[in-house]
Amino acid sequence: MSKSKGDLAAAICLALFGVYVISVAAKLDYVSEVGPGPGFFPLWLGIGLVVFGAALLGTALSTPAARQSAGSWKGAGRSLAGWLGLMLAVALLGRLGFAPTFVLLTVFYIAALDRRPLPLAFGVGIGLAVAFHLIFVLALDVSLPAGGLGF
Amino acid sequence: MNIQLRIMAAALAAGLSAVAQQAQSQEFRPSKQIETVVHTGPGGGSDLFARAIAELLQKEKLISQRMQVVNKPGGGPAVAMSYLAEKKGETHTIGFFTGVWVTNPLTTTEATVTMKDLTPIVRLVLEPAVVAVKADSPYKTMKDFIDAAKKSPGQLRQSGGSVTSRDNLMRLLIQKATGTQWTFISFPSGGERLSNLLGGHVQLMVIEPQEAGEQIRAGNLRVIASLSEKRLPSLPGVPTIKEQGIDVPLIPQARGVVAPPGISREEVQYWEGVFDRFAKTATWKQYVEQNQFEEGYLKGPALAKFFDDLTVQMREVLKEAGAKVVR
Amino acid sequence: MDALHNLLLGFSIALMPVNLFWCLIGVILGTMVGVLPGLGPAATIAMLLPLTLKMDHTTAIIALAGIFYGARYGGSTTSILLNIPGESSSVVTCLDGYQMARQGRAGAALGISAIASFVAGTVGVLGLMLIAPPLARFALRFAPPEYFALMVLGLAMVVFLAGESMVKALLAMLVGLWIAAIGTDLFTAESRFTFGQAKLLGGVDFIAATVGVFAIGEVLVNLESPSGAEIFKLARGLRNLLPTWQDLKDCRFAFLNGSLVGFFVGALPGAGATVASFMSYGIEKAFSRHPEKFGTGVIEGVAAPEGANNADAGGALVPLLTLGIPGGNTTAILLGGLILWGYKPGPLLIQEHPELFWGLVASMYVGNVLLLVLNLPLVPLFAQILRLPYYVLYPLIVGISIVGVYSVNNSLFDVWLMGLFGLLGYLMRKLDFPAAALILGMVLGDSLERALRQSLMMSRGDISILVTRPISATLLAVAAAVLLLPLARKVRSWRFEAIEREG
Repeated sequence: MSKSKGDLAAAICLALFGVYVISVAAKLDYVSEVGPGPGFFPLWLGIGLVVFGAALLGTALSTPAARQSAGSWKGAGRSLAGWLGLMLAVALLGRLGFAPTFVLLTVFYIAALDRRPLPLAFGVGIGLAVAFHLIFVLALDVSLPAGGLGF
Repeated sequence: MNIQLRIMAAALAAGLSAVAQQAQSQEFRPSKQIETVVHTGPGGGSDLFARAIAELLQKEKLISQRMQVVNKPGGGPAVAMSYLAEKKGETHTIGFFTGVWVTNPLTTTEATVTMKDLTPIVRLVLEPAVVAVKADSPYKTMKDFIDAAKKSPGQLRQSGGSVTSRDNLMRLLIQKATGTQWTFISFPSGGERLSNLLGGHVQLMVIEPQEAGEQIRAGNLRVIASLSEKRLPSLPGVPTIKEQGIDVPLIPQARGVVAPPGISREEVQYWEGVFDRFAKTATWKQYVEQNQFEEGYLKGPALAKFFDDLTVQMREVLKEAGAKVVR
Repeated sequence: MDALHNLLLGFSIALMPVNLFWCLIGVILGTMVGVLPGLGPAATIAMLLPLTLKMDHTTAIIALAGIFYGARYGGSTTSILLNIPGESSSVVTCLDGYQMARQGRAGAALGISAIASFVAGTVGVLGLMLIAPPLARFALRFAPPEYFALMVLGLAMVVFLAGESMVKALLAMLVGLWIAAIGTDLFTAESRFTFGQAKLLGGVDFIAATVGVFAIGEVLVNLESPSGAEIFKLARGLRNLLPTWQDLKDCRFAFLNGSLVGFFVGALPGAGATVASFMSYGIEKAFSRHPEKFGTGVIEGVAAPEGANNADAGGALVPLLTLGIPGGNTTAILLGGLILWGYKPGPLLIQEHPELFWGLVASMYVGNVLLLVLNLPLVPLFAQILRLPYYVLYPLIVGISIVGVYSVNNSLFDVWLMGLFGLLGYLMRKLDFPAAALILGMVLGDSLERALRQSLMMSRGDISILVTRPISATLLAVAAAVLLLPLARKVRSWRFEAIEREG
């Protein structure tokens, strides 16, 4: 996918988002008895988003094919997998606690995404988790989510 | 043999149940840190109050465990209140409330937790407020200001907190009682409210006496009325708003302690005991005096009634103020 | 000279062994706190307040203030090395600082940051000593219209954050402004864009958003390709790990810029270090001979904002010590500390307790020297972090991010937000939307809207109030000039293109 197509998608999303913002702003008071109301700013924000989104749309459509640079989306799959892994970890943080979740996430990043040996992944994961525990929980008295095992 | 066994069994059962009853009616004693929830960030009014109380309680050796202040700011008190409600039945958690804990759920739909969902423990103080103007302003009494406001409706300005704060609600009540009108400008931080008054950009401000105290001493501010039942001991020369002929209900700003719902009777009694003893200490009285609070010790059913009454009063005032009341 | 006499009094207090010791403890603790994202100086000072009750009061405030400005020094370390803003005011440092690190110049970036902070911190203390009362009185003249104009000027800085596409920068800024609008409206207590979530009533947590966009976004971008063993080349040899004399010369203007902007903006209650750092970055870029290089690793792009957020610490103490008005969270706690110890902060504090004020001022000089001495040698040490292989560094970054964001409010919800913002940051990087513009919008959105509505409340709907007052009119004029600059440049380039085509 070239950069121009990416711009196109972004422009459409932003313009639609602008429409959404306007719709919410319309439900709020534009003017209150003491001056601009809560709907004032969001309305103009929405309008700005639509206007500039349209401008971006225009540029994206009118860029001649020869001047398009190919942005690479090849690795996007891995990044997305990494992001999903992170979100899953956040979901587990509350149940399992920080340390086990962090170890799992690290193992996922190192072993699954980076294709390195499993022992290395566990080693790094556990090493870092221990370091975090020592520095933050013990030394700095920062509380981290604690799971069933207490850490 | 059979009878002996039975007697032994009965004795054992009786013994066990005696021990169990003992354990049940045993007092609650905290065995780990007490999570103390406040709705402001570090440095905010509630945060400093909670820290001061924690410090004093420990100084008086009334509490054996550390009170750890946990800041849960957001949406006024909404985040802190829902956090406490989620801790249902948990011991070792308390929260410090202010008047806004009662008013906020009335105007905000997302703030689904009300004072009825929490366990009231004790009300500690009432914070009076005073009406202040810049020292070189032409208003020497409340009447001067009201007269000026009558002459130019809407031109004079007051700085204060949000539109549902006490500052604004008192303004609305006074406006109604005197038939005047002046503008209210919200500033989120006390510092900005004061600096705008000192800079002459607004003419009037409702301020706590201890904050005003220093500015008065420096000759920057003049207090023209006190919003309290009786004259304040630290400002004996300042007449109350009622003395000046403006008869409005006073909105109390209360501070106290609540706990999550569903906690045991013993825990409530423990806390009441702690604060009962605390309220009698000289340290407490000194703190109250230094900060120019009003003693407002209240607990149990009287406290619950206070919350109910306050809710009804606030609902009325908010409706009159034109705020959207959702509960 | 009265000031000199007082300063000597102050030094005699600041150099007492016990005060020197606690100053050292304070600045070390502050640096550590600043390095770690999330754990802020306000919270740390609050935690330590009970301990200070047993200390001499002057010693106590020396220690706490040390944490305050020490944190500003520390905030730059993770920004430069890991693209994680340690403090909200270090966000701008990420822009060029991290790029410098990627080019093997982490040492120079860290070093210049320490030096700029020292210079600015010293200027700040000088200012506090010499012009605090008159500055405080001047700051009182700032009413909502002036704040609005200041925020508009700040937003005009977006012009300097745009890469190729102005439109994309504006769009990013608008989204940032929208994020700032999430939460409860101050004036009407109505909630906006909260999607029914009570946790959004307070708005989106700033740290969650910035750490998400910068740190997590960066990690996600780098996950695209399997990693090599080392990301950053690190220059060998001590000399290459510190800024060169040429670097120092290049940053002369940046030092001045950061110091002055930071100090003045800091003295305004309600305007913070983050605004100051954005502004000084913009000003630096505006006056630079190579503006197009900003964002790729220009050393002045680190020196200016780092100076600004240090001078801001001195500035923030101006209203606190002269009028008893706290300018922000951290100064509010310092105020709380003073009250707790029995002082009554106000206009009379300096006269009645000169040893407190001047002892503090002198200790800030001392503290700045201590911090420089501490930080410079540590630069090569910190820079070693970058020698860690990719696959250790990324989990480390993610871990620090999670811990940092969680520790702000003990809220898992914030960590969720961080994850979402991470995805946003990734997409923005891929599509060339400047993340800094988003952050600028987020930082200023609240204040901008509030100032505008307050101004209109003051003038009862008359918008001319913004241009009839001298200070606000001046600031708006400057902002207009700034905004028209790229337009002027574009018109010139169109004309050149037109001439070329015809030729």
